[in-house]
Amino acid sequence: MFNFLNKIARSKKKIKPVESRNTLEEQSSWKEQTISWLIDENIDLMKKIYRIPDNRDVKVREIKLGGKGRKAAVFFISSITDVRTIEDSALRPLLLNKDPDAGIEEIIYTQNVTAVTQIQEVVENVNRGNAVIFLEGKPAAYAFECANFQGRSVESAETEVLIKGPKEAFTEKAIVNLSLLRKRIKNEALVAETVTIGKRSKNDVFILYIRNLADNQLVENIKGRLNNLNADAIQNLSLLEQYIEERKFSLFPSVLLSERPDRAASFIEDGHIVLIMDNSPDSLILPATFWSFFHTPEDHYLRFFFGNFIRVLRMIAMFITIFISAIYIAVTTYHAEMIPADLLLAIAGTREKVPFPVLIEILLMEIAFELIREAGLRVPNPMGPTIGIVGALILGQAAVEANIISPIVIIVVALSGLSSFTISDISLNFALRIIRFMFIFSAGLFGIYGMTTLFTLGMYYFVSLKSFGVPFLAPMSPHYVSSKDTIFRKLLTQESLRPGYLKPVDINKKGNGAVK
Amino acid sequence: MGHLLKIINIVIMLAALFILPGCWDQTGLDKKVFVIGMGMDKAEASGKIEVTYLIANAEAGISQQGGGSQEPSMQTITIRSSDLISVRNTANAVIAREISYDLLQVLVVSEELAREKDFIRFLYNASKDREIKRNAYLMVSKERASDFFTNNKPTMLTRPHKFYENMVNRGIETGLIPDSQLHHFFRITEEDANLFLGMYVTTEVKKDKDKFRANENNVLAGEMKFEGETNNAQFLGAAVFLEGQMIGTFTGVENRIVMLINRAFEATDILSTYPDPFMEGYQMAIRLKKVKDSDVHLDLNKQPPKIRVTLPLVAEVMSDPGMENPAENKKKIDKIRRYLEKEIAAQVKDVVNKTQEEYKAEPFGWSLYARKEFRTLKEYMAFDWMKTYPRMDIEVDVKLRFGEFGRQPKIPTYEGIRD
Repeated sequence: MFNFLNKIARSKKKIKPVESRNTLEEQSSWKEQTISWLIDENIDLMKKIYRIPDNRDVKVREIKLGGKGRKAAVFFISSITDVRTIEDSALRPLLLNKDPDAGIEEIIYTQNVTAVTQIQEVVENVNRGNAVIFLEGKPAAYAFECANFQGRSVESAETEVLIKGPKEAFTEKAIVNLSLLRKRIKNEALVAETVTIGKRSKNDVFILYIRNLADNQLVENIKGRLNNLNADAIQNLSLLEQYIEERKFSLFPSVLLSERPDRAASFIEDGHIVLIMDNSPDSLILPATFWSFFHTPEDHYLRFFFGNFIRVLRMIAMFITIFISAIYIAVTTYHAEMIPADLLLAIAGTREKVPFPVLIEILLMEIAFELIREAGLRVPNPMGPTIGIVGALILGQAAVEANIISPIVIIVVALSGLSSFTISDISLNFALRIIRFMFIFSAGLFGIYGMTTLFTLGMYYFVSLKSFGVPFLAPMSPHYVSSKDTIFRKLLTQESLRPGYLKPVDINKKGNGAVK
Repeated sequence: MGHLLKIINIVIMLAALFILPGCWDQTGLDKKVFVIGMGMDKAEASGKIEVTYLIANAEAGISQQGGGSQEPSMQTITIRSSDLISVRNTANAVIAREISYDLLQVLVVSEELAREKDFIRFLYNASKDREIKRNAYLMVSKERASDFFTNNKPTMLTRPHKFYENMVNRGIETGLIPDSQLHHFFRITEEDANLFLGMYVTTEVKKDKDKFRANENNVLAGEMKFEGETNNAQFLGAAVFLEGQMIGTFTGVENRIVMLINRAFEATDILSTYPDPFMEGYQMAIRLKKVKDSDVHLDLNKQPPKIRVTLPLVAEVMSDPGMENPAENKKKIDKIRRYLEKEIAAQVKDVVNKTQEEYKAEPFGWSLYARKEFRTLKEYMAFDWMKTYPRMDIEVDVKLRFGEFGRQPKIPTYEGIRD
């Protein structure tokens, strides 16, 4: 009985197809071959690599050319190619061709035809959405471009919203993104180099910079870092960001993600380097400073005073976000004599009926606010309004009416939550929200003294941060030659220098007063 | 293993950091009651005083959802004690929460206690307590301080801290009461050269018939006549302290003159009345402003020592009962100027005389100018400013500059109307 079962088990093992042990090594050993003189061999190898006919969208069309009846085969993946182009520009001319000696270049109509000799290259071409033609009696294959990956069209920006200024945003197609950038920088010096990362998935990263502007050392540094990556797949920029950033445990981001082509373009023009990639509707801008997270493009699109006004607002909002809850705790528990009499009595009065100490009260509300925020983000669209009602009505109103939270705490938390929304960069936003909790705890334990200590330690850390060799607070501290675009901005006509911390080849970007 | 040890060490250190130095003795706001005013009265037993607390009810006046309270806005209690410090815990026998002096604004002393020699012993305790702020105001009440607090029922500003804050600030602005912060009291008492002025307050309003007065403010608190429904406490005039003991009073007008001369005071909105030189029996309303500090010249080598003061003032003539419209006539302006300079100088002279003859010390802060005249502190001490002051030859000259003459509408002549 036992023997019988064993037999079955063993026999099952034997049934398992050999191809299932299709490891990476085996895959590459097939690919390392050159294209054979015998077309059938090539076709067979290709079918083996692509597992035709199991793989349903990989198509092969075998045809006999007119005249001598030479055999030819066209390989392509139908889901990522424009089938109409293949039909019109390749298949039709091939079938209608009467000249037996004509080369492929003379027959098909496409913009370009490349002859390749390695199976490796053939596979790469097919994977990128190109079609490859094998011809009998030729130890080469011919690839032509007909890629058509599906994706969104250019839509308006969703996370970095502006009132004044361009509306379009990057999409998931790197080529489209590149086109959006080239539309803004019509300069032959704008280089779009590619580096392939991801050993299995072969993800391409475009490195964009202006050749005679960006610091060469920086470009080499970034290229080196990208080439050094060893991972099977890095699908998009949000993931790539975490592979290439320097301090992975830092609260502060060191690379800027932006979905706005206008923003990316202006960074490139200043000598920064921008990475774009398929499947990411953003661009990765590096190196990044604190100011690049703090600014929005609208600061410059608006006129001088208006732009600086929103900068001031945002700066205030940033401090409110970090400090207001902590200050409330510190002042009400440790430094009551600091508050004006009216406010002190008002706070004391509202606190009389509330069961928890101030620290717990603030924490409850802050966490509730974060919950509303997170839930509001994850909730499916049709349910969105419900979250708003639950959050505002139940948590705020009812908590006060039930004497669980004092109304002043609602004001404090609402203010800190609202202020945090003014920081549009999601990474900095998260950083500030987490720091806020650190300050809340230090204020709860040590009052203003604790907050001061934490702030001082935080500043030490803050000035020690670097992003690709650029200090985080540059050009303010340490000082660098620049247009001083930090908390405030100058008149646009006076912002005539590129940031010095990038060591740009050409530091002047405008004439004096922007006139000739 | 070493790595693990390191982590354990760090965790223990962090835990210790939070457990050991945290401020675990802190008290939440809801565990405190706030004293707005404190009263001091003479007790029957010697070495004791009766301390009155005016405690604000934090819950009054706020609109809290989930049921507001109908509790009164304040309460007063009086306890016998030997000092201002220990009474805080003694009071806890009847008051449920910790007593906090964080919001202490006024310190009311009954005139009876203020005139005692030993008063200073009790008041100096206030400088020892960390929570008693030195910008609390010292007031002297005609009646017992406990009676003052109980009888004082503000009608519109029912929350006590608001009432005292506004009453005091406006009183100082208009020059009706002196700026009597505790800090000034300690400073002047220790300086031993000047008079300190405390606010004079009362709820005991005299019922007898009102006498005619040229200026309604020329009285003390409790003597001004008013009708209608308003606060029954009057804040008017000053209690004069010499060496930490009360020796007399100044009326509202006298206090105002001291505030104009003394550079330590900021009276910004003084409205006063003087007889109209053009129309007998009527009064002109004058706004006086101190724009510059007065000019003080001392000649201390003479016998008697001489003090010459020039008081630069800006006057605004706000009313014109004679309907003469002096603004348009240079001669009339000069007449008013001469007249007012003489009037004010005479008033000042009266006050100076009073201080020289009655109080034998000065509240004008001139001793500060005198210090510059001596090379060493010893010489100054030997001169003994306070002793010498009553014999000094003092003259105060008023330099008047006119500001505006009120709004300038075209006023018809009297004859034009009554023809």
